[in-house]
Parts: sequence; C-alpha cells; structure tokens
Amino acid sequence: MTPEDEKPQAPKPDDSKAEAAAPAKAEATAKAAAPAKAEATAKPAPRPAKAPPPPDPRAVAAKERADKVKADIEGALGSGVVADTGAAKDIPLLRIEPAHWVKTFEYLKTAPEYLCDYIELFAGTDLLDKGVIEVTVYIQSMQCGHYFNIKTHTPRDDARLPSLVPLFAGVNWEEREVYDLLGVTFEGHPDLRRIMMWDGWNGWPLRKDYNDFDNIPTRGGDPV
Amino acid sequence: MALRSEEMILNVGPQHPSTHGVFRLVVTIDGEQIVDVDPVIGYLHRGTEKLAEDLQYTQIIPYTDRLDYVAAMLNNYALVHTVEYALDLEIPDRAEYLRIIVMELQRVASHLLFMGTYLLDLGAMSPFLYAFRERERIVQLFNEICGARLTYNYMRVGGVKWDAPPGWIEQVLEFVTQMKSKIAMFHELITGNEIFLHRVRGIGIISQEDAVNYSLSGINLRSTGLAWDLRKSRPYSIYDKFQWDVVTGENGDCFDRYMLHMKEMEQSLHIVHQAAESIPSGPVLGKVPKLIRVPAGEYYTSIEGARGELGVYVISDGKDKPYRLKLHRPSFVNLQILRKLLIGLSMANLIAVLGAVDIVLGEVDA
Repeated sequence: MTPEDEKPQAPKPDDSKAEAAAPAKAEATAKAAAPAKAEATAKPAPRPAKAPPPPDPRAVAAKERADKVKADIEGALGSGVVADTGAAKDIPLLRIEPAHWVKTFEYLKTAPEYLCDYIELFAGTDLLDKGVIEVTVYIQSMQCGHYFNIKTHTPRDDARLPSLVPLFAGVNWEEREVYDLLGVTFEGHPDLRRIMMWDGWNGWPLRKDYNDFDNIPTRGGDPV
Repeated sequence: MALRSEEMILNVGPQHPSTHGVFRLVVTIDGEQIVDVDPVIGYLHRGTEKLAEDLQYTQIIPYTDRLDYVAAMLNNYALVHTVEYALDLEIPDRAEYLRIIVMELQRVASHLLFMGTYLLDLGAMSPFLYAFRERERIVQLFNEICGARLTYNYMRVGGVKWDAPPGWIEQVLEFVTQMKSKIAMFHELITGNEIFLHRVRGIGIISQEDAVNYSLSGINLRSTGLAWDLRKSRPYSIYDKFQWDVVTGENGDCFDRYMLHMKEMEQSLHIVHQAAESIPSGPVLGKVPKLIRVPAGEYYTSIEGARGELGVYVISDGKDKPYRLKLHRPSFVNLQILRKLLIGLSMANLIAVLGAVDIVLGEVDA
C-alpha cells in the first residue's frame, strides 16, 4: 500500500479542528470528506481502530530485499523486466512484465545465487477494478533459502501468459486450474483443458463478473 | 516373430473403491503394461474458493473441514493461521498447546487411515480393522473436545473454541502410551510381511529432482531424502518448543512412503506426549474483535498438513470477507506426478502406486 492510500484514513479519530490545521492542499478535500462522514454516522466516540500503523519494519526489509533482487534480475536480463517491487507482509514481492515472465523464472531457477527450484503457490486473482488478472507465484529455493512472491498482470479481456510448465512440471495442473476458473490462456502449455469444470462450461467461475445463470443445467447435464 | 498387441482403454473410477473417492483414471494399456494415463478430477469440486468470497473469515472455517475430510483439524488451523498471521495476533499459550495436541493426534488418525486403506488396497483386510480401532479412539477424543467426529470446526481466529473437558489431557496421555505399543505391533504385522514387501519395494520410485520439480510436498517429498517439513523449515505455532525429528526416506519408493507414515506417527505421538505433559492453564481464546477485518494486502502461510504443504492465500481489501481465497491443497499438487510414475508399470501396480501417493479427493477438487 502506498502512503497516499493510507492518509485519508488517518484523521478519523480526531475532530474537524485538527483537520483544518492539516497543511496538504491536494488531499484537503478528501480529508474533509472523511471526518464529515464519520461524524454524521457514528454518534458515540469513534473507535480509534483505523489509525495508520507505522511502516512494518519486516515489510520495509522485504521491500529492500525485493529491490536487490530486481537489480540482479535487470542486470542479467536488461531493464524493464520488473514492473514493481514491494512486500506481501514480510515476503519480498516482485511484479514482472508478462513479456518477461518465463525468462525471469528461468533466471531465478538457474542463477547460482538464487536457485529457486520449488514452486509453492500458484494462484490467479481477478482484479476487476484494475482490469487485470493477477497470477501470483510463491517460489522457494531449497538450497539457498530464498522465498519470493513473483506476480504478473495480464489484461482481463485478453488474458494470456506463457506457460511455466517447461521449467516447473508441478505447475501443469495449477495452470489448468487458473485457465479453467479464471480464463487465462497459458501459451505453450502441453495440455490446456478445463480441470475442475467440464468441457462445455460457459465462463470463468472465479471471475468477479461471473454470472451463475450463464450455466443453467439441462437434463443432459450440459449448460444451455 | 513379434507378438501383435493391441492397445486398450480402461476406465478406473470414478466409483472405484481404490481411488478413495471420486477419482477417475483413463488408462491406456497394452496387455498388462500401462502406456498412458489421464487422470480426470473435478467430480467433487464444490467451489470452496468462490464460496469463501461471500463468507466472513469465521464462517469459512467449517468449509475447510470438508477439504481433507480425514484431517479436518489441520485444515481448520491452516485457515486461522493465515488470518492470525495477517493480523499479528497473540495466541494464548493454552490454546497453542491444545492446537498442537489435536493437530498431531489428527495426523496420527490420518496416517492410520492411510495405513489401513493402503493395505486394504493391496488385499490385506485385517490392518484396516486394526487401524480403524485405534483411529476410533482419537475420533472419540475429538468428539469429547469439540462435539464432532469428522468435521470439527474447532479452531477459531485467536485460539480454539472449547477448552479440554476435565480428564481429557489424561486420556490423551493414556492413548499416547498405548498407541506407541500398537505401532510396534503394526510393524510386526505389516512391515515384515514378505508379500507386502514384494508389492511395494522398488515400485513407484520418485527421484529427488523430480519431487522438487513437481512441487511435491509432505511425505512424497521426504521419501526422496529431502528433509523438508514446514514444522521445522518454516516454523509456525509452537513446534520449536518440542523435541522431535524430521524423518526421511532413501529410495522414494512406495515402501519408503509407507514407512514414513509409520515413523511420522511415532514422532507425532512424541510431540503430543510432550505437549500434554506441559500444557499450561489459562484462556483458550485470545482478544479478537467480533468482526474480523483483515488489513488490505496479500498473505500466504502454509502448514505441514497430513499430506504435505497445506497453504491458504488471502487477498484482502480490508473488508470482513476475503477478496480472494486460494487454497493450496497438497493432494492436488502431489497427484500430478502419478502419470509419470505409472507409465511403463504393469496394471497390478497401479493401485499400489496410487495408494502410496495418499490423496484425499475432497482436497484434490476443493
């Protein structure tokens, strides 16, 4: 989360006088709106639960670590590979440009200082408001002990990614599952078919705009 | 003169008893030889991940019971652990001890079930009865502590739902002592059995390289000799307080996987014994807000389930329901290597290999 996102929540526990003293110009309107709403709805003293936490030192350390990995990756593969770095709680997080998806994993798997050979989690998420499908991989190095969150974004209306199966045999079914439930086409996958739903199913069930009524079961079992 | 042979397609499952649920294998055989295998899953897909998006975190817990339904305590814990990790919650000591006791007892119960059904698959009837007799005692202990025999719904974010009833800890200790001698008996009955050894030794060998490349976890991974147990390699809860060992195999064959189940039972009993002897008194549920809101962000934690790495991945947008909940189910991942293991084997070994991979279909299909 960026600091801009957290700021508007900050002044909730205080009353409006403290807000007036706030010097920021651009955020002034947003800030004024937040306490006004809070006062209107909450009659008793609002709970000070929404105070912004100070930056978690673990997250800061993880971000620094991610930046170092980014420098290494871009040193080997050229700049523009890593779109973003951050931290998932205390795990270093790197967002890769989809065009460099396979190359990055190849580098992480073979580079002697990383040797990330073990994929732990392979998950897809539909980020509707960003208009992308996010694919997240948690990868572990059995020998060096690295543990990263690597992810990428692919547009919802044309969701496709190169397949990681040639590098990691264990993502075969995981990619099929993401294809089945979220509609991401993995190019180069040896056997890309639905795995949970049956062939002939309409739509991608885990997408946020999925409509149950696209699949009214008929007597024969296949949706109309 | 070459013998002319013809390939044949054989459907194993989805209602075959040896597939332990609704799992279908489309096997292409040439005589007795397996030429190709196409596992078909999804018969038990209930869309737990989608359902969870409309549920509050506490409401998801009973759904996890239905994943790996022979190890529901561990599933319960996997979910609450992720939420606790996201919230940085402090868990009362007694709750942690109770969790360890029930989780390790659950692991014993699950491994007993493996032992019984695996031997049943291979044609031995009595081990199944022995296994269920011992498992029944664990199930009754669970019934006393949470009122359910299979779907416990026992863990809560911040602790556990019920404290142990009076005398329960003593019963656990008694069970542990008796169970240790029972395991020795199982070894005498099964491990030394010549027929059994012929069925499982050198069959379905997984190399360490393959195990890592296929993202195997749990006993399937450890049978290849890699000491990767999340209780040690990424410690959670209070496992670091107890003395126990990660047991590994050597050859990665079915026998090693059977043997590791037996040895892990011993280690689990060892942990239960220590925990039950040193359990402190105190509250069993920490201070947790009535409505659990996970701060916006993404969180993944994993625990060592009965079948391997059981992980829960939560993406939260700060609400009381997850934006996305992904379950990393070890059976689903472990099952992928089956095709590689089976091709080239004879048909009679199919059940021996499938049984040793130890899957639960509720977990495969989620």
